[in-house]
Amino acid sequence: MIKIFRYECKRLLWNKFFFGIGLVLLFYGWQVLSNATILGISHTAPFSPWSFGDYLCRMMPLLWIGALFFLTFFTSAKAKRMAVLTDATPALPGHYALARCSAAMTATALLTFACLAEAAVFYGWYFKWYHWGTLLLTAAAVLVPPLVFALGSGWILGRCRPWLIYVWMLLPMGVQAVSLPSMLGVWNGSFFTEYPKTLGMMDPAFTMPPAAIAAQLLLLAAGIVLLGFRCFGTERQPV
Amino acid sequence: MKGIRLFRLELGRLLRSPLTWGMVLLTVVSPLAGLLLYKPASASTMLTMYLANPSISGGAAGGIFFGILTVFELNRVSRSRAELLLDAAVSPLTMALMRMFSLMSAALVTLGVTMAVWLPISRSLIGSVFGILDYALAYVLFMGLALPLGILSAASAYQITRRVDLSLALFAAFAGLSLTVWADRWQLCWLNPCVWALSDDFSNFRIFRSAAYMRLTWLGALASLWILSWMCIRQYGKGILGSLARSVRHIFRPIIALLLLVCSVTAYAAQPLVDHSNPDQTVFTFLELEYLEGVICSGRTAQIFPDTSAGTVDGKASYQFQNASGQIQTVAFGINPGYTVSAVWVNGAEAAFEVGDYQEFNEAMLEVEIPAEEAVELTVEYGGFPKESRNSSSMQGHVEISEEYLCLENATLAPRLMNVLPDEGMYPAVIEVTLPNSMTVIPFGTGEAAAVKELEDGTVTWRYEDNGTGGILYAGDYIREDIEAGGIAVELYYGRKHQKVMEEVGGAEAVKEVVNYCTEHYGVLSFGTGKALKLIQSRVAGGGYATDGASLLDEADFTAANLGDGSKGAASGEVMIHELVHQWWGLGNMFDSSDENNPWSAEGLTVYTTYRIVKELYGEEYAREHYIEQWQQAVDDYYLNFYVRNPEYLDELPSDQQLEISNSLSYVRKYCEMPLKILKAEELAGGEEAMDQILYELFNRELDPTYPYLTYEDFLEACGLKEEDLNLD
Repeated sequence: MIKIFRYECKRLLWNKFFFGIGLVLLFYGWQVLSNATILGISHTAPFSPWSFGDYLCRMMPLLWIGALFFLTFFTSAKAKRMAVLTDATPALPGHYALARCSAAMTATALLTFACLAEAAVFYGWYFKWYHWGTLLLTAAAVLVPPLVFALGSGWILGRCRPWLIYVWMLLPMGVQAVSLPSMLGVWNGSFFTEYPKTLGMMDPAFTMPPAAIAAQLLLLAAGIVLLGFRCFGTERQPV
Repeated sequence: MKGIRLFRLELGRLLRSPLTWGMVLLTVVSPLAGLLLYKPASASTMLTMYLANPSISGGAAGGIFFGILTVFELNRVSRSRAELLLDAAVSPLTMALMRMFSLMSAALVTLGVTMAVWLPISRSLIGSVFGILDYALAYVLFMGLALPLGILSAASAYQITRRVDLSLALFAAFAGLSLTVWADRWQLCWLNPCVWALSDDFSNFRIFRSAAYMRLTWLGALASLWILSWMCIRQYGKGILGSLARSVRHIFRPIIALLLLVCSVTAYAAQPLVDHSNPDQTVFTFLELEYLEGVICSGRTAQIFPDTSAGTVDGKASYQFQNASGQIQTVAFGINPGYTVSAVWVNGAEAAFEVGDYQEFNEAMLEVEIPAEEAVELTVEYGGFPKESRNSSSMQGHVEISEEYLCLENATLAPRLMNVLPDEGMYPAVIEVTLPNSMTVIPFGTGEAAAVKELEDGTVTWRYEDNGTGGILYAGDYIREDIEAGGIAVELYYGRKHQKVMEEVGGAEAVKEVVNYCTEHYGVLSFGTGKALKLIQSRVAGGGYATDGASLLDEADFTAANLGDGSKGAASGEVMIHELVHQWWGLGNMFDSSDENNPWSAEGLTVYTTYRIVKELYGEEYAREHYIEQWQQAVDDYYLNFYVRNPEYLDELPSDQQLEISNSLSYVRKYCEMPLKILKAEELAGGEEAMDQILYELFNRELDPTYPYLTYEDFLEACGLKEEDLNLD
């Protein structure tokens, strides 16, 4: 299984899409950092968890698109034609799916890491600020649930109809355009501009109200269930 | 012939695709988003709301839809694994060219359909100020040109990467940048042009030129990129570099790409619309120039010839100097950075001159040496396309020059003398301007223009006398209404197209009420010449200004939308109120403006008085909601701002970021914090009546001619307060 995982990782990571989207993300990220994040969000420092969270929310549409594109390696019509061959191998379909799922997660995590590293460089460069550990909780809260959900939901949709993945890519753009209830504000960034002001103190530490935590946990759970459904609910198709 | 046949086949195939029709349909519907969701242009004129926003959102959405369509169309043959077959029949380069033309044609058809569908809708929404030329230009420039840009960028991405996923990701990032972090950078926002307002009553050619320039710059750059990517199209089984090497054998291909790239980079770098003024708006180098010793200016004349079809100005300005210093002296003028000085004569002989590279507040410095002679006549010939200040580059449209409207301010009118004192405190000036006979000339000040010569080409030469080193001139298709108020004669000038709205909104009555209020509460105005005050409607400008004997009325003050919006009450015209109040605070009483960082300025009392007038006219609740609460919010935000609390971090930032932040912060102190302090002073001094009495006494106080300014200390003393009493909680 590890061999399959390494092979799938190589497929996803050692190609021009990965490097291309990596460069696109870095360029976009630097523009966001130097034009928006640098001003500070909700009266907090540009390197506060709130400003950092806003930066991550702005990066989310591209990360979401990147994660879904990784799935197209496995759900495209071409990949489905290849499935005839892979199904004939002695590997269990569930294991095969798990290895692919892990590879897609790894690739997404690497893209995410590039965004985080870029922010760290930016903070060090402009503000000589290096307390990166304080931002990890924000990063986890903002990024993990939607990206896991993107992979889980995208995989299911891609298996139903490959083109549905492309439609699904537009979801974060739609979410950014509409106003959401405050508990879902993490999804379009409004949480980071509004919630700190309600806390009634200067430079508040990063906290989330229970409703927002619940929404993120639900999203994460939904993503895990969908991924689990894909990995463990897969059986060999009768020939 | 084969190419035409292929194009027709490809276009026919494209138009039979359901995906194409889906994208066309979405694009045709997308202006609706500009009415409901996406409103980048913020002004409240009818054309802004019902033409600019729909066409910009149509362009942004249409550009994205056509970009997506392009990627899927270019991938279609590969997707159906017919690439080898097709390549054997037709050169892949020819085919790519045909696909590009087909997509462009589809975009053209889409634009035509969109314009046809939205024409009756826009006409009914916009009402009496609808104009077909504005409509056509807005849809072609704001929307139409976004579609080829979307197609070119997406096609370039696909032809280089040959991957749908990477192309879409690249395209999404490129579009995302334009819609977010580049949205206020007028040359970069390729998808959504930086348009903040369209005028209802006057022409909009300047902003259309700006949008067209940006689009054409990008069109050149993306066409160049597309040709490069076109040369990378894989052929003969070769990779990207092998295919490129083969394609460049036809040398005209890389040459065209290079030429387009050079043109677009040059167009970007040498754009003619916005100057390079110092972004630090607290620096007044030109104002701080020392006056020449022994040199005085005894008068000046200027002949100005605006070209209303090209939007340019040509002029000739003469200055009379008396040089008693017995030395050669260097006279400095401020001139619009867009102008070229073609010649300078001193006492009839051509003289050397130099225009500096440094620019400040929309002026560059022209320096000319004058001889050590008693009487010197200096003449400057200048002309060109005036530039706007880069500090307001996201709000272009101000320097409109057309047959409907013209506004020339200070150094844009004629070179502004900077370092020579006047003779006996006066800079007498005679200005002549030649314009089409449909235009009325209105000097912004106490001068009156008169038509002195009618020329055979349908133009009229107007002449007026002025005093000062600069001067502002308005001209256009204006109507004049005379109002008597507060003991002065108010000449109200507004655009002919605005007549119906002004009558319905009672604009003249509103003006009368404001003048009466200020006269009753603060005293009668007195001008240098006569007792007339001009109130001139300008093109939508987002603000205004005032001078001795004239104030500005922004066209957005009175729009049909404001008229029909019950939630705004009757409180339109607040910029007009503000600028009228400046006749009392700022002109009737001067404020020392040497320290730009000092929050005490004419704006504090003017904003406070505007609030009082609005309160009296439109009610306490409206005034509290739209004034006090907004000041408080802005002041709270100011003191909570991270960089205000931690200025050491501001110093760490690049200078342009520092300036952007500090400029926005200084606005809050003058326009929001100071009015709040005056409001607090009102409470401490005993209420509105007591404050009115204090302000009356300050307005009518005995002036010290050596320092005629109204200071913060004067104000505190009159209120019987100390500075710390007005500290805000």
